[in-house]
Amino acid sequence: MSDQTNQTTYWKSLNELAQNEEYQKFEQREFTENASELTDQVSRRSFLRVMGASVALAGLASCRKPVQKIITYSRQPEDLVLGEPNFYATAMPFQDTQTGLLVTNNEGRPTKIEGNPDHPSSQGRTSIYNQASILELYDPDRSRSARHNGDSVSIYEFYDFLVNHFENRDRSVLFVDEQSSSPTYHRLKGEIVNTFANAEWVTYEPFSDFNVIEGINMAFGRRLRTLNHYGEANLVVAIDHDFMSPQGDKNSVENSIELTNRRRVTSTNDDMSRIYSIENTFTNTGSYADHRLRLKSSEIAPFTFALAARLSDRVSGLEAFSGVSNAFTSHEWVENLANELIAQSGNAIITAGYQHSKEVHAAVAAMNAALQNAGNTVTYLEVPFLNDRDERAAFVEAMNGAAAGNYDTIVILGANLKYNAPADLDIESILGNIETKIHLGSYYDETAKLCNWHANQAHFLEAWGDGRAYTGEQSIIQPQILPLHEGTSAIEVLASINDGERREGYEVVRETWNSDNSDNFERIWQQILHDGISANAGYSAAQVTIAASLGTEISGALQQQPLEGIEIAVKPDPKLFDGRFSNISWLQELPDPMTKVTWDNVALMSPATAEAIGIDTKRSFRHNDVPVVRIDTGSEVIEIAAWVEPGHADNSITLTAGYGRESLGRVADGVGVDVYPLLNSNAPFYQVAEVSPTGNTFEIACTQDHHSLEGRDMVRAASLDEYRENPRFAHFSSVHGFEVPGIAEALEEGDERGPVSLFNETYGPSDQPQWGMTIDLNSCFGCGVCTIACQAENNIPVVGKREVSRRRIMHWIRVDRYFEGDQNNPRAYHQPVPCMQCELAPCEEVCPVVATTHSEDGLNQMTYNRCIGTRYCSNNCPFKVRRFNFFNYAKEYLTTGDDPEIIQMAMNPDVTIRFRGVMEKCTYCVQRINRGKIAAKKETGSRKPADGTVQTACQQACPANAISFGDLTDQNSNVSVNKRNDRNYVMLEELNVRPRTSYLARLTNNNPELLA
Amino acid sequence: MSKTYEYVPEPALVKGNHNFADITAMVTDISLRPTPKPWYIAFGIANLLLLVLLVSVGYLFWEGTGIWGLNQPVGWGWAIINFVWWVGIGHAGTLISAILFLFRQGWRTAINRFAEAMTIFAVMCAGLFPAIHVGRIWVVYWMFPLPNSMALWPNFNSPLLWDVFAVATYFTVSLLFWYVGLVPDFATLRDKVKSKAGKLIYGTFALGWRGSNRHWWNYEKSYMTLAGLATPLVLSVHTIVSFDFAVSVIPGWHTTIFPPYFVAGAVFSGFAMVLTLMIITRKIYGLEDIMTDDHIEKMNIIILVTGTMVGFTYLMEFFIAWYSGVEYEKAIFILRATGPYAWAYWIMIACNVLSPQFFWSKKLRRNVAFTFVISIVVNIGMWFERFVIVISSLSTDYLPSSWGYYSPTIWDVSTYIGTFGLFFTLFLLFLRFMPVIAIAEVKGVMPQADPHNYDEETGEYVPPRVTVPEPIYNKTTHRENS
Repeated sequence: MSDQTNQTTYWKSLNELAQNEEYQKFEQREFTENASELTDQVSRRSFLRVMGASVALAGLASCRKPVQKIITYSRQPEDLVLGEPNFYATAMPFQDTQTGLLVTNNEGRPTKIEGNPDHPSSQGRTSIYNQASILELYDPDRSRSARHNGDSVSIYEFYDFLVNHFENRDRSVLFVDEQSSSPTYHRLKGEIVNTFANAEWVTYEPFSDFNVIEGINMAFGRRLRTLNHYGEANLVVAIDHDFMSPQGDKNSVENSIELTNRRRVTSTNDDMSRIYSIENTFTNTGSYADHRLRLKSSEIAPFTFALAARLSDRVSGLEAFSGVSNAFTSHEWVENLANELIAQSGNAIITAGYQHSKEVHAAVAAMNAALQNAGNTVTYLEVPFLNDRDERAAFVEAMNGAAAGNYDTIVILGANLKYNAPADLDIESILGNIETKIHLGSYYDETAKLCNWHANQAHFLEAWGDGRAYTGEQSIIQPQILPLHEGTSAIEVLASINDGERREGYEVVRETWNSDNSDNFERIWQQILHDGISANAGYSAAQVTIAASLGTEISGALQQQPLEGIEIAVKPDPKLFDGRFSNISWLQELPDPMTKVTWDNVALMSPATAEAIGIDTKRSFRHNDVPVVRIDTGSEVIEIAAWVEPGHADNSITLTAGYGRESLGRVADGVGVDVYPLLNSNAPFYQVAEVSPTGNTFEIACTQDHHSLEGRDMVRAASLDEYRENPRFAHFSSVHGFEVPGIAEALEEGDERGPVSLFNETYGPSDQPQWGMTIDLNSCFGCGVCTIACQAENNIPVVGKREVSRRRIMHWIRVDRYFEGDQNNPRAYHQPVPCMQCELAPCEEVCPVVATTHSEDGLNQMTYNRCIGTRYCSNNCPFKVRRFNFFNYAKEYLTTGDDPEIIQMAMNPDVTIRFRGVMEKCTYCVQRINRGKIAAKKETGSRKPADGTVQTACQQACPANAISFGDLTDQNSNVSVNKRNDRNYVMLEELNVRPRTSYLARLTNNNPELLA
Repeated sequence: MSKTYEYVPEPALVKGNHNFADITAMVTDISLRPTPKPWYIAFGIANLLLLVLLVSVGYLFWEGTGIWGLNQPVGWGWAIINFVWWVGIGHAGTLISAILFLFRQGWRTAINRFAEAMTIFAVMCAGLFPAIHVGRIWVVYWMFPLPNSMALWPNFNSPLLWDVFAVATYFTVSLLFWYVGLVPDFATLRDKVKSKAGKLIYGTFALGWRGSNRHWWNYEKSYMTLAGLATPLVLSVHTIVSFDFAVSVIPGWHTTIFPPYFVAGAVFSGFAMVLTLMIITRKIYGLEDIMTDDHIEKMNIIILVTGTMVGFTYLMEFFIAWYSGVEYEKAIFILRATGPYAWAYWIMIACNVLSPQFFWSKKLRRNVAFTFVISIVVNIGMWFERFVIVISSLSTDYLPSSWGYYSPTIWDVSTYIGTFGLFFTLFLLFLRFMPVIAIAEVKGVMPQADPHNYDEETGEYVPPRVTVPEPIYNKTTHRENS
C-alpha cells in the first residue's frame, strides 16, 4: 500500500511547497480541467478515466484521493482489476448517528452498500435507508449547482461570497442545522461559535430523540442518550416505540440484530425474550411483539404513568408517581406488566417512542432505574455534543428572534425548515426578515428556494467526513467517487466560514483526527479508513440516579387525560422518514411494511373508526380506489386517502410525514399529502381533529390486496410452549389438516426421513454445491430491507405508481404480510417470499422455449435471451414470484430525465438489464454465487465455496439475520443446520415441487396470564 | 321375431322439390351475380373492424403487452380467453364435416362447407392470439422446432408447444379437407363463370377437374382419408388446448375433466356459431330449402346435448373439488361462484347451462328467431366460461398474498373486437366468391339422387314422382357436372 500513497502525498507536498501557478489555479478549481467534465455530463468513459487515475495514484484504503492530477491508465493500477469490484469502508451519517458501511465499488463507481461487519451499529447489516442511499447519490434531481437568487453559479462563486461575507466576524448569524455526530463538524461548530460572538446555533429535526433526552434530564438531572441492550433483556416493554425500524429508532439495525439474536431458537432448549408493545398504529415492532396492546397516542402517557404508579407500590424510587390514578390504573396490562417487570427486574427494558412527551420518557427512565434495568439492560451514554438545553425550545426561540430581526445572516445546513418546521412558525416571513440567507442542501428544496445562496451538498459517498455511531464509535466517511455535481459538504462550508478561505474536506477531517500531530498518524489514518472504524471506544456510560426534583417537575403532567374523540397522530414515514428520502424511487416503491401501500401516504385507522366516520371498511378486491377523508384540526385542513388498518387503535388516525412535495424532484413531486401543516411547535404530535368522508376516492397502489391467510398454512406459528410440547408442529402438516400417510409410523420407528420415496431424491452432481435457503419467520419483522437490497443488487427497475396499482411491481423478493384473528386486534405475520428455486419447478415444465431451466447447482435459472414472454411460467408458479417486463421498464427507468447516464451508474455491472417482454425473478444472486465458485475453484480446486463466502443480497442486508443461504451438501453449513431445525417447513409441500427455500416457523413467547 | 317395425322415412334433406340444376344455380348464383349492395356495407364494416385489429396489434407490438390489463398474478388475459374461444368455435366445422361424414349423416352436406369455412377463419383468429400475446413478438418463431446452429429446440414438455402443433395440424388438415371438398364445386364455378379472370382463378383451384369416374374415385378416397385424419383432430385439438390449463399446478386448472369438458364446450360453441351465421346466410341468400329448419333442429339438439354435458362438468368440478379434499380446489370453486368473479360465473351458468334447456321444446328448437338468439347467448356464455377458467384461477391461487384482480383495458377489448373484423372479412369473401354449399354433396343426398322407382313397402315399380320444373338457366350452354 503505503509506497504509492506516500509517494503521491510527497508529490503533492512538493507542489504545495513550490506554490507554483498551476498548483494555485488548481487549488482554486478543486478539480482539474478534465475532472470538471463531471459537472454536467458524466460520460462513463471520462468518468472511468478520472476515477481510474485517482485509484492509480492513491493506494489501498481510500478511493477519493488527495491527489488531483489526472493521467490515463498507462499501466493497470495494482488494486484494480476491471470487472472485479473493490470494497471500501465508509459510514452513512443519519441525524446524530452513523452506520458503518462497506461499499462495493465497480471501476470507480459505488454500486452497492453493505453494512460494515466490524462496525457495531451495522455488524454487516443495513437498514432500508442505508441501502437506498446509493440511489440518492445517483439521483439526477439532486441539486446540481450552487445558486445565487435562483440562478446557477459555480461553487467557486459561492465560496468567494461565503469567505467575503464572513470576513466580518461581528455579524449576527443564525446557524440552523440538522443533527450531526461528526467530530469535525462539532469542532468547527465550537470554533465558529467562539469566532462569531453574535452567532446563535440551533438544531432542528422534525423527528428525533429530543424528548427522550429531556425526559432523561428530568429523571436523572443530566442529558444522556439511552442505549437499550435488547440482546440481554428477557423482557421488553415498548411503549409506542418502533425500535426495530429506522424511522422509529436511530439504532434500529443494532436493536434488531440483538433482539432477534436473543429470540433465536435452534432447539426446544432455547428461550426467547418476551416483547410487549403498546402502540396506536401497527408497527414492525408491534407485529414482532408477543403481546400487543392498541392504545391511542394520547392514552400512552396515562398508561405509562399508571404503570409507573403501579410499580411505585412495589419498588422504591418511583415515589413521584405514587397515587396517580387514571383510566389505566386497573388495566389488566398494567397489572401484568408490573408483575413481569418486577419478576424480571434488572433484565427488562422499558422504552418509549421518541415523539412522546419528556414526562413519558422521564417515567420510563425512572422505571428503568428503579427496576435496576439501568446499568444492566439499559445504559445511559454521555454524548459530548449534546447541548445542555432543550433543543426544541432553543430552536423556537431562535426562530422567534429571527422573526424579530435579530439576525442579518442565516446559514441553513441541510434543514428543510420551509417544509418541515412546525406550522406555527411562518418560515417564509421569518426568512424574509433576514438579509442574507445561505442554504446548503442536497436538493434545491422548499427552503433553498427562499434563500439568496444555495450550495449543493455533496452526498456522503462523495465527500470526506466523519462521525460517531449511536454508541459513539468513530469512523471516517470516505468518499467513493468525486462529487458528481461539484457538491460541497457541511464541514467544508463551516471550515471555510471559520478560516476565511475555502477549505478542502479532506484536510479539515484530517486536522480533527490529527489534533495531536502524532507521528504515527498516517498509519492510523490508513488503518481507520481500511477498517471503517477507529479503535477508540464509544461513548462512556453514565451512572444514573433518579433526581429528587423529578416529583415536582413531573407532577403537572401526571393527571394528563386521553383526548376525547378522534385524535390524529403525525409520525415519520417508515420509508421516507421526515421527507429527506422523498426523491428516492426505491423507497417510494417499497411497500409500506404494514399496509403494503406504495407511492402514497394514507390516513391509517381502525375498522371501527372507519365505520364511525362513515367509510366503507370493506375494501373492494376489484378497485384500487379508497375513500378520501377530510381532516380538520381547527387550524388546518387536509384531505387524504383513508386506509383501514386492522389492529389500529380506535378513535385514532395515524398520518406519516415526508410526502406532498411540490418541486423537489421528479420522484417526490405530487406523491401523497403533506401533513407537516398539522404539527405545531407547542403541541404534541397528536391532537383532536374532525374527520369526515369527502365522498371522493383516490387510487392507492397497494401490493397486497388480500390480507388474510384464509386458513392456509403459508405461515406456521406456535407459542414457545406449544413448540416445546410438539417440536415438530410445523412438519409435514399440509393444508388438508392431515399428516402425510406413513409419517407417524415412520417417526415411531425412528425414521426421520418420513415415507420412502420411489424416486431419486438427490439432485445434481456431487462436485457441485446445492444451494438452499431458509428464512426464519421467528426473526423476520418485515422491515423490507431485503427488497431494497435485492433491487440494488439486481438492477430491478422502478415501475411507478400506475404500474404498481396494476400489480406489476418488479421486486424479486417481497414481504407478504398476513393478519390473523380478530380484525380489530389481529396478529400480523411477515413472510419474505423470493423464488423458491423448486427442484421440480413447475415453471420450467411449461416454458415452450426452454428459457427457464435448472442448473447443476440447483438454481432455477432464467435465460433472458431465450425468453419470448409467454408468461406461462409465471402463471404456473404456485408462489407467484416471477416478474414480467410488461413494458420496457428498464429503458424507462434508465433513460429518462435529462441526464440518464447518472442513474445508469448505479447499475450492477454483473447483472443483465432486462428488456421488455422477458420474465425475471430471484436468482439467489447467481452473480455472487458464480464469483464465489470461481474464487473457490481457484483457491481450493473445489467448486464448493466455504460456508458464508457466498451471501445473497437479501441475506446480507437482513438486520434480523433471518435468511440463511448456502450449500446443502455441506452438512455443517448454516443453512443445512437450519434445514434440520424442527421448525423447518416448505410452503405447499403437497405440490411436491420441492422448494429449496424453506421457512422456519414463527414462535411467540406468550404470557399465559394475559392470554387468559 | 314376429314383431314388425314401421319404417319411418326421413324427411327430405332438401326441400322445395328442386332439381339438380336448381341447386347448382342457387349456389353458384351467389358468386356469379353482381355483388349486392348489402355485401359492400357488411364488408366495409368488417374492414373497419379489421383496421381496429391492425391498429391494436400494431400498438401492442410497439408498446408491449403492458397495454393489456395483464398483471401479476394474472399473466394470461383476454388474449388466451379469445384464443380458446375462437379455437372452440373452430370445432364445429371439422366435427360436421369429418365425424358426421364418417357416421353417414347426410344432413351435414348442407352446412359442412359453410361450417368448415367458419372453422378455418375461426382458427386463424385463434392462432393470432398465442402469437401476439408473447412479450417479444420478434422471436416468436422460437416456438417452432427450427433447426439452428445452437441446437436449441423448443421444450417438448410444454403444453404451449403442444398447442402450436395441435392448432397448426388442425388448421392444415381442416384447410386441406375444405379444399378437397371444394374442388368439384370450383370446377362448376369455372364452367359457369363468364369472366376470363374468373375462369383462370376457379380453373386453377379446380385442379383440372373434369368429373370423370377416376376423378370421382380419387376424390371420394381422399375425402374419406382426410375425414379419417380430421376426426381424431376434432378431439385432440381442444384436448390439447385444455392441457394448457390441466397440465399446470394451478387450482381450478389442474383438472382431469378438462379434455372432455373442453371438447364438449367447443362443439357447443361451434354449433352455436354455425347457427348464428347460417340463419343469417340462408335468409339473405334464400337457401332455406337447402339449410332447412330440420337442420336447425338437429343442430339445436346437439347444442342441447353438449350444453348439458358442459353443465354436468360444471357440477362435476364442484363435486371433485369437494371430494378431493384439496383446500385450494375447494376455495377456487367457492370463489368462482361467490367471489370477485361471481358475476362472470353466473353469466356463464345462465348462458351455457340454462339457455340450451329451452331446446327440450320442439317448438322452440324449430323457431329460427329463438334459435338465433340462443346461438348468440351460447357464445357469450362460452366466452365467459373461458374467462372464468383463465382469470379466476390465476387471480386467486395458492398464496392469498398474491391474489389480485384483473381488469381488461381498452386494448384488450379492441383486439378482441378486431378479430371479428378479420373473421367477417374472410367470411364475407368466402360468401362472395366461393360455393357456400357443397353443391356436389348436396345433390347426393337429395331425394332425386335416390330414384329407386319402387315402392319401399311393396317392392312394386312406381314411376318417378318427381316433377321437373322449368329450368332457370338455359341448359344447353353448358354441361352438367353430376
